[in-house]
Amino acid sequence: MLKILGQRLLRLLATLFAVTFLSFFMTSLLPGDPAVAILGEAGVQNEELLNQVREDLGLNDPLPVRYVNWLGNAVQGDLGESYINQGQSVSGTIVQRLPVTAQLAFMAIGLAVLFAVPIGVLGAYRQGRWQDSVSSAGVQVALAVPNFITGIFLIWLFAVKLQWLPASNWNRISDKGIVENLRTAILPATALALTQMAIFSRLVRSDMIATLQENYILSARAKGLKDRYVLFRHALRPSSLSLATIVGINFGALLGGTVIIETLFAIPGLGFRLINAISQRDILVIQGITVSVAVGYVLINTIVDLFYTVLDPRIRRS
Amino acid sequence: MNKQGLLKLLALLFSMGLIAAACGGSDDGDTGATDTTEAEAEEAATDDTVAEAGTEAEGDNDTEIVPSEGERAYGGSIAVGLEAEAVGLRPWEDTCSSPCYNMMITIYDKLIEQTVDGEYEGWLLESIEPSEDFMSWVGVLRPGVTFHNGTELTAQTIADMFIVQQTGAASAGQISSANLADVQATGDLEVTYTLSQANSAFPAFLARAPIGMVFDPALATEDPDGYANAPVGTGPFVVESRDLDNETVVVRNENYWGTDPEGNQLPFLDQISFRPIPDEGTRLDALLSGTVNAFQTLRQGTIRDARAAVEEGADVTLLEFQGNNTGGGHFNVLVPPFDDKRVRNGLVHLNPQDQVIEALGGTGISLPATQWFSPDSPWYSEKVAEAWPKFDFNRGVELITEYVNDPARSDGKAVGEPISFEQSCPPDPTLIAATQVIIEVYEQTGGLIEAEVTNYDQQTHINYALGAENGFVGEHGAHCWRWSSEDDPSVNLNPALAPPTAEIAELAGIPGVVSPLNFANWFDGESFQAAVGATQTDDFAARYALYETIMLRIAEETPIWYSGHTATAIGTDANILGLNGWHLPSGSIGVGFPNAEGRWAEVWLG
Repeated sequence: MLKILGQRLLRLLATLFAVTFLSFFMTSLLPGDPAVAILGEAGVQNEELLNQVREDLGLNDPLPVRYVNWLGNAVQGDLGESYINQGQSVSGTIVQRLPVTAQLAFMAIGLAVLFAVPIGVLGAYRQGRWQDSVSSAGVQVALAVPNFITGIFLIWLFAVKLQWLPASNWNRISDKGIVENLRTAILPATALALTQMAIFSRLVRSDMIATLQENYILSARAKGLKDRYVLFRHALRPSSLSLATIVGINFGALLGGTVIIETLFAIPGLGFRLINAISQRDILVIQGITVSVAVGYVLINTIVDLFYTVLDPRIRRS
Repeated sequence: MNKQGLLKLLALLFSMGLIAAACGGSDDGDTGATDTTEAEAEEAATDDTVAEAGTEAEGDNDTEIVPSEGERAYGGSIAVGLEAEAVGLRPWEDTCSSPCYNMMITIYDKLIEQTVDGEYEGWLLESIEPSEDFMSWVGVLRPGVTFHNGTELTAQTIADMFIVQQTGAASAGQISSANLADVQATGDLEVTYTLSQANSAFPAFLARAPIGMVFDPALATEDPDGYANAPVGTGPFVVESRDLDNETVVVRNENYWGTDPEGNQLPFLDQISFRPIPDEGTRLDALLSGTVNAFQTLRQGTIRDARAAVEEGADVTLLEFQGNNTGGGHFNVLVPPFDDKRVRNGLVHLNPQDQVIEALGGTGISLPATQWFSPDSPWYSEKVAEAWPKFDFNRGVELITEYVNDPARSDGKAVGEPISFEQSCPPDPTLIAATQVIIEVYEQTGGLIEAEVTNYDQQTHINYALGAENGFVGEHGAHCWRWSSEDDPSVNLNPALAPPTAEIAELAGIPGVVSPLNFANWFDGESFQAAVGATQTDDFAARYALYETIMLRIAEETPIWYSGHTATAIGTDANILGLNGWHLPSGSIGVGFPNAEGRWAEVWLG
């Protein structure tokens, strides 16, 4: 186990180095000057001030120097300060935003798994019959519709027409309690969940179909065990390895992939902050969020790898 | 078809229905609606003062600015959906656009405000008088005004503010534009502003956020970063909490000095929560669903959708404003082929303004622009409207052909070769559609024009035109842009007409007078002198004549092109009253809600 962890740690460091290096240099390729973004159109009339702002931000230093300076501070936990929201540390921003995005991602994945497993199992159990056709068609629809379209539809239905849920923004648990928080989280989480659910259910279905052909399933059935017992106790567990993998990958992807949904629903998560930072050329914030997403991604996938050994004892023994 | 196939077909139809339902209602093209709701809400309000305030141009659907009627009531809270978050709430430091302004105006008072007639009157200043030569201005502050923290407002406060403002990212440029050289406290409440050049329109700068909004200079010096999210002003509301990108809550300032004309202490509301909702559709939906009680928009497509919602019975008041601000763009006249008037003129003739406005979603909402002033502005000129080159395909082709066949053409290409340039707009869907309309016209010219369409994000788009890297000349070609505002014309025109580079300033005999904000890089001595002349007199007729001269020169030289005047709106629940027809301390009616910027002190729940 320690060996696995050590390998993972090395991989994490290499990934982080690559991510920071690439994102720093790619961000610097963006046309535009953060100093101009800070000063605005009117402010740039004063060229002296423009140069002063550039100097203060270290933008006059060569790019490699800026990267090394940033890396040196980052390894000590200092990700710098926002260029635009002065006085606001990047790590503080991440600490404030990450829980929002993580909650959305958790809820989306949770909802997706909750619906995907029964749909997938049903499809496999009733392969080729009408239940399989209906669930397959539904899954096709869910896959075909982009999540922002789902989001717009959910807002129209549940906020505008039925007026059951708010159309936008975020109620923090600390301010307004769990119920109000869930009222603002459920629509964006559902919009994110739909595509995930479709992917997961397809995966469960195909894995289950293969598992249901195994000899031990046939013998379990021959022993007279009930179908539900066979499906969920004997077949589902070995069929869940691919699901666990994709859940891990997609959770990590969701951490950095909620940009559109967070913007659509005006949710103050990492994605919303990232999109603003990009438009404002707030390079250190872009860098900080990218790194945090990368760390989250690698960590989650490490956890998923470790989870395999729990899920399938054969892997642990090998 | 077997059962499985039938089910798949049903599923496909369901998915198409799902998409159609989600997209429906936003592009129905229904643009004929008029402001029925606000007309109903305000129908009883007929104020003699307002009747004189100006007449609407034909086809202009602006909401009439009249005070709301009814019993004023204290209490209640509302949520307002804004287009974007304010990065900071420091008037001297943070660049503030319309959404941010909605927040700032609840926290800060301005020294001067604008009336519905476009005049400038005192707000925190009881009076302001110029010297005969407009080189200095003496203002007298209202007594008994205190900041949220209890600090008294004195003339020294304003003088100390100036020290902070001189290095402020947002205010330094404004100080330069206003020709403001010094601010001194010449009495307990008397402030003297000294200018480096005469400026008869100086009060206009005190009506703008960067140097007009009053903040506590001691606190601003002590903790400038902290001030961004915990600002202290003298305004009607106090910041209670600020959750960036989610919600900024302001609560009633119990000690606010302001009253309405009936003597009721302001503000009426207990609390306002400002919520940034960047997506236009979601923001409107947030209003229609009751998630917020008011929203703002600067997009004509959203106004169209809001009008449709009102027609369908939504209990919403829509306050529409279409002022001087206009869409369009500029040609970089320092870059061939735009250094040749024939090309600029020809391209303006090839701009199908009505179709462009339609592509922008503005048919029936946005009036075609011909100058920097809307038809209901006191500065509007019929003569300029006549002079502005209209869409005339043949004339456009004729002018471009003349250039293309000129052996001495400025772009160095061989005779007969098409002109080529970059046509750039931010990646907004409506702007892309509008650009496409223009490009289609270019394509019909028989290969005279090769335009490369580019779409950079807003920040890049601005930087590109600014061209800080090459002495503020920029490398842009034909560049989408916005022009003008409700401010005094000098505020926007003077920097846009000043020499764009040091060399041009030298040649013009005005060394050192350089403006990076002359984005078209067009310098015309006659226009610049007229602009300067207009700041040296306060005689309206004389100023009008000078601005008319400038607009006629622009119509002749066409360094820029126009689409339509920018329609903006604030939509509110029907029981939100007082946003329309708010008052200045003198009792005059204020400018209304230009650029979707509301004044929330007089708002009450009916």
